[in-house]
Amino acid sequence: MVAKINRWLDERTSWRQVWDTIFLRKIPKVNWFYTLGSASLFVALNQAITGILLTLYYVPTPDHAYDSVQYITTQVPLGWLIRGLHHWGASVMIVLVVLHMLRVILYGAYKYPREVTWFTGVILLLVVIGFGFTGYLLAWDKKAFWATTVGTSIAGTLPLIGDTILRIVRGGSEISAVTLVRFFGTHVWVLPAMLLILIGVHLFLVIRNGISAVPKRGG
Amino acid sequence: MSDERKLSRRNFMQTAIWGIGGLIGIGFTVPAISYVVGHSLKGGQTETWMQLGPTSKVELGTPTLFTFSIQTQTGWITNTEQISVYVLSTDGRTYIAMSNICTHLACHIRWIAEQNQFFCPCHNGVFDISGNVLAGPPPRPLNRYDLKVEDGQLFVLFGG
Repeated sequence: MVAKINRWLDERTSWRQVWDTIFLRKIPKVNWFYTLGSASLFVALNQAITGILLTLYYVPTPDHAYDSVQYITTQVPLGWLIRGLHHWGASVMIVLVVLHMLRVILYGAYKYPREVTWFTGVILLLVVIGFGFTGYLLAWDKKAFWATTVGTSIAGTLPLIGDTILRIVRGGSEISAVTLVRFFGTHVWVLPAMLLILIGVHLFLVIRNGISAVPKRGG
Repeated sequence: MSDERKLSRRNFMQTAIWGIGGLIGIGFTVPAISYVVGHSLKGGQTETWMQLGPTSKVELGTPTLFTFSIQTQTGWITNTEQISVYVLSTDGRTYIAMSNICTHLACHIRWIAEQNQFFCPCHNGVFDISGNVLAGPPPRPLNRYDLKVEDGQLFVLFGG
């Protein structure tokens, strides 16, 4: 029955060819360090699922943000788990993408013909850091508030354009409801859209160019 | 035992990956469902007798509006909600208490004295003085509260 449905679908969509290209492609003999990219993808998926769930209760306004987060953590069934997964997933994400990048650097995997994969990876790193920075404010507790005060002030130290950047990031001269909601919008709309597109290109190139082998000593 | 029956490395990996993947999927889905459902299915208030006011306030033969407020907790927000009840007595000894919530789609009805009818502005539902449907879409008479009189004070059983 399942085989019949699969055949019916394959005849019309060639999904089997797509599946094989993605999952049954030839790869050189590699080691466990090559799983860091997939691990990052998995945690990104975790962040997406738990993040979407959090928005079902979270309210990005100064008078509700903190209370809604407390409600999720203490009242909603398994809310602590969903928030915990998102919270710890964020840290794990940073660790994994950095390790993934180190592997690519140390193995020289960024070289021809994989430069564009590397470029998209660099932007992806910035996007992931952006997720961390914007997400940190959303809990709207003291730590979030002051961390964002410090973080945005750092942007303000840029010569010439610093103050302009600071005001644009904060949506005014100080951290306010405007800051909170623009961080939220960036965190749940802008960055996910960028992440999705960049991961798409990144993975397409990984499959299109094949992955690099472990470099050999000498030669 | 033929060779074909043996589990190949490929088949083992395939089964393991699908199995672990399935477990992870369940690990996300089950908490997600309980998280989404949340407190949506939890019952409302516990039943309590709410004091309306003195029986002397009730005009004989006219539904008299009483209001009281209750504290409600919705999500992380505590609200004060106004509840309105129409009390009717024709003889000054027996009383009935009717909800002011239309039985059609929960709009608030009001007493129109000139026409001697309750009227719901949302879809023109009309009820008579004791809450029976006269016209419009309401499917049943107005809900009634259990009512008691103690020391000249009216009480209704609210919640549950």
